[in-house]
Amino acid sequence: MRRLEDGATYREPVDQLVYATGAGPRWLEVPGARSRGIYGVATLADGLLLRQIVEDERPQRAVIVGGGYIGIEMAEAFVARGLDVSLVELGSEVMGTLDADMGALVSAALREAGVKVYLEERVTGFHADGGQVRAVETDRRTLPADLVVLGVGVQPRSELAAEAGLPLGESGAVRIDDRMRTGIPGVWAAGDCAETFHLVSRRPAYIPLGTTANKQGRICGINLGGGYARFPGVVGTAITKFNQTEVARTGLSEREAQALGFEYGVARIEDRTRARYYPDSALMVVKLLAEKGSGRLLGAQIVGGPGAGKRIDVVAAALHAGMRVDEFMYLDLAYAPPFSPVWDPLLIAARKAAEQV
Amino acid sequence: MATKDRLIIVGGDAAGMSAAAQALRMRDDLEIIAFERGQHTSYSA
Ligand SMILES: Cc1cc2nc3c(=O)[nH]c(=O)nc-3n(C[C@H](O)[C@H](O)[C@H](O)COP(=O)(O)OP(=O)(O)OC[C@H]3O[C@@H](n4cnc5c(N)ncnc54)[C@H](O)[C@@H]3O)c2cc1C
Repeated sequence: MRRLEDGATYREPVDQLVYATGAGPRWLEVPGARSRGIYGVATLADGLLLRQIVEDERPQRAVIVGGGYIGIEMAEAFVARGLDVSLVELGSEVMGTLDADMGALVSAALREAGVKVYLEERVTGFHADGGQVRAVETDRRTLPADLVVLGVGVQPRSELAAEAGLPLGESGAVRIDDRMRTGIPGVWAAGDCAETFHLVSRRPAYIPLGTTANKQGRICGINLGGGYARFPGVVGTAITKFNQTEVARTGLSEREAQALGFEYGVARIEDRTRARYYPDSALMVVKLLAEKGSGRLLGAQIVGGPGAGKRIDVVAAALHAGMRVDEFMYLDLAYAPPFSPVWDPLLIAARKAAEQV
Repeated sequence: MATKDRLIIVGGDAAGMSAAAQALRMRDDLEIIAFERGQHTSYSA
């Protein structure tokens, strides 16, 4: 151990050890990427620093690299503070954890709020002046910038564990079993530095989220304290928003289902968050996948107005239960006009998907 | 004084602190030392 205040190194004898080292932000390996004015957002301190910079230095033009949830949440914050915001994304749409047809709805919401969205563009470098970033260079254009935020993903901090000889999975994260054991007695791992198990694909997965980190930590603590607890795994549920547009997903996307070789039927419907005539009823789009033959639900994606996003939890529960789409479509979900149409949009999507399997 | 079993946790955020809290509930004879190089734990801890 090395104490950071004074650099002193020392040893601690230990009976049990938990790796909970988390994940760190990826950085771009392009010229100028270490210039001043280029930030990641990984910690509370990063967020506070960015807010202070926006208030004190009054940057006019912000460029965000990466259209994942961190990128779009930062776009929301910068738009709210009156900055001129550009977002550069390598993929064909923002929110790459969704299929492109659903991500397109999020790109549209960004543009409607005045964000300039550049898709299928690669950042190739940064121009700096006296060490301070001035522009972002892509393979198609130069974007002037006073401030750059990188939201290009995270990587597991598993170096310490790897040095100690713990096996890593394909993702580079620590491999653990359903009791958070690493394979070395008395050594455990939990959270963003570790893998988890995907209950739909039935494979190890790396989906670093606070939801899972808390559960894995709890399970780890019970087991290392001499109790017995198992964490079966995740279904890949996540949610975010940009202004009034809520974005949620669970299970497998169409792209993931294809990569895994699933044969599936898919439905995509547009409906409303509340009864059509009710105040603040907003549009929402639901996409739902089910396996051909078995009819088993595979996943869902939702993009829509206030009240749309948390509906994803119903599908997440159904995925945990291994439910079929023809069982799902008659679920007794709550209805009154302020909350939903009489057929919830999820059920309409399920009815359509059931015809495809 | 009997020496306590010693648990070391590297990383004091969501996963690490959840593990610590739960381990302490299971066993009051554990000595837990958590190492955290940052100054805050996250919103999610
Ligand atoms: C901007 C942002 C927004 C997010 N929003 C959401 C959200 O809305 N929903 C959600 O579910 N998840 C969200 N997440 C993800 C969530 O924050 C993480 O999944 C969660 O914090 C993981 O917890 P953890 O304890 O595994 O790791 P971390 O929170 O990364 O904690 C690991 C800790 O270990 C410390 N550490 C690492 N190595 C060492 C070492 N060698 N010595 C000492 N200390 C060390 C680090 O300093 C760090 O504090 C978000 C993440 C970010 C960056």
